[in-house]
Amino acid sequence: MRTLDENETTQVFEKIFKFTGNNLKNIVESPSHEGPDPEPGRYCFRLNKNRVYYVGESLVRRATNVGRQNLVSLGTCIGKFTKGGSFHLTIQSLGILAANAKHKVWLKPTSEMSFLYGNHVLKGGLGRITDSINPGDGVVVFSMSDVPLGFGIATKSTQDCRKLDPNGIVVLHQADIGEYLRMEDDL
Amino acid sequence: METTNQIVDLGNLLAFDCTHQLSSIPSSREELVEMCLQKGTELVQAIANDLFNLPSTEDVDGPIVKLPPPITKLPREKHLPKPKPPTKWETFAKMKGIKKHKKDKVVWDEQTGTWKRRYGYDRVNDDQDIPIIEAKSTDEPGEDPFAKRQADKKNRVDKQERNRLQNLKQAAKVGSLPSHIQLAARALPITGTQTAPEKLSKDDLGNVAGMAAAATASGGKFDKKLQGEKKPKHEQKYRKFLPVAEGKGTGSKEKEQTDRVLNKLISKNSHEVLNIGKAVTMYNLKKEKKHQNQKGRSASSTSSKLKPKGNIQKKLTNKKGSSKSNNFKTKSKRSA
Repeated sequence: MRTLDENETTQVFEKIFKFTGNNLKNIVESPSHEGPDPEPGRYCFRLNKNRVYYVGESLVRRATNVGRQNLVSLGTCIGKFTKGGSFHLTIQSLGILAANAKHKVWLKPTSEMSFLYGNHVLKGGLGRITDSINPGDGVVVFSMSDVPLGFGIATKSTQDCRKLDPNGIVVLHQADIGEYLRMEDDL
Repeated sequence: METTNQIVDLGNLLAFDCTHQLSSIPSSREELVEMCLQKGTELVQAIANDLFNLPSTEDVDGPIVKLPPPITKLPREKHLPKPKPPTKWETFAKMKGIKKHKKDKVVWDEQTGTWKRRYGYDRVNDDQDIPIIEAKSTDEPGEDPFAKRQADKKNRVDKQERNRLQNLKQAAKVGSLPSHIQLAARALPITGTQTAPEKLSKDDLGNVAGMAAAATASGGKFDKKLQGEKKPKHEQKYRKFLPVAEGKGTGSKEKEQTDRVLNKLISKNSHEVLNIGKAVTMYNLKKEKKHQNQKGRSASSTSSKLKPKGNIQKKLTNKKGSSKSNNFKTKSKRSA
């Protein structure tokens, strides 16, 4: 387990920034009540075997007692670094992203299953969409009952979405909670 | 537990109590921790008392105290270095009384009339620069004087190398070589003595070979390996990271790093937000220019000094207010 160096931190923050915007500050600076300490520590990011974890400081201190080979996971895993050195967010970061998301999309009940199988979101499945989305922004996908289902990248801005035909892709799928069943080994 | 037998070693900032005993066996771990902390605080108090009793000098950051030399003798990690036996030249120079003189890096070259290096690329007495060698009466007719000079130089260099090895062997006999040379020299037999050369152990050899292999810019990762050679112990370069779990008194370098990255990211992506700092400086510059023009016209300076400050505050709020209201207006239009 080690801290992230500056390049790695910029990569991680940039990916999260696409989804949260300025709420990134809340993520980094929120007080954590994870451990048994009376005072809340801060959350920090740690790297273990190419996975980035979002952990409270008190847990990190206790986790230093576990050896590197033996440590499996700590806190929440938010993403992985690929062999090529780029950072990808995994589905386990959904909790943090959904709480601080700037751009949201709600799906109709009919197209929820399609998204959960890994397909992209089509215009026909779109229930509601927040304003001022630019193409290339990160978007968190919710069901109509406000359950976060996953996240992806918006292909068009909000205005253009209205003019699309019903089979046009609105959100490119990046991660969904169905992955917990399909890709249990990879996570 | 007040015992009077506390030894305070200020040189090492150390205090210990050799006669400490726990008066009662503690029932739980927390109690034990408490008692140990209590005893620890007493000892730290003793150190602090003695520290503040030392004479102090005033400094910008606070009183500075010079610590006395340490009392506790800590053992040496490695053995004392053994003195090297003098080399053949050193013994000769001592006998003859020859003293070392410092040599200049550049020397005056008579032939070209410039300052040239004493050795290296463009040096003073280079063999290649000599155009003509005059024949002496002692020379044979068929001999090439340039080749002779080269051969002489080669002999001199070889002789010097042999002398250097002999000096190393002498030092190895005594045991005063640096460790890696000692290792290489152990395999060589020492002529004239009956001591058999020590066998190199596998670990020692492996260590030295590993150190040598990894002493490249990329940590020995891309070098061609011999048959059967194992990978170096530390494959990558050594990188430095911030501490994983910071201690209580070490400050927060990680926090600084994350804040720096965060601010960079936020400022890079906030095109639409009014840069208040920039606006203020622009406004101040404008006011100063106007102020200078006014000074040129009228002689009164005090009243004009007072007025702009009051105006700046009012105008800034107006500016902020106007921009804010503009944003609201446009936003409401869009959503409709």
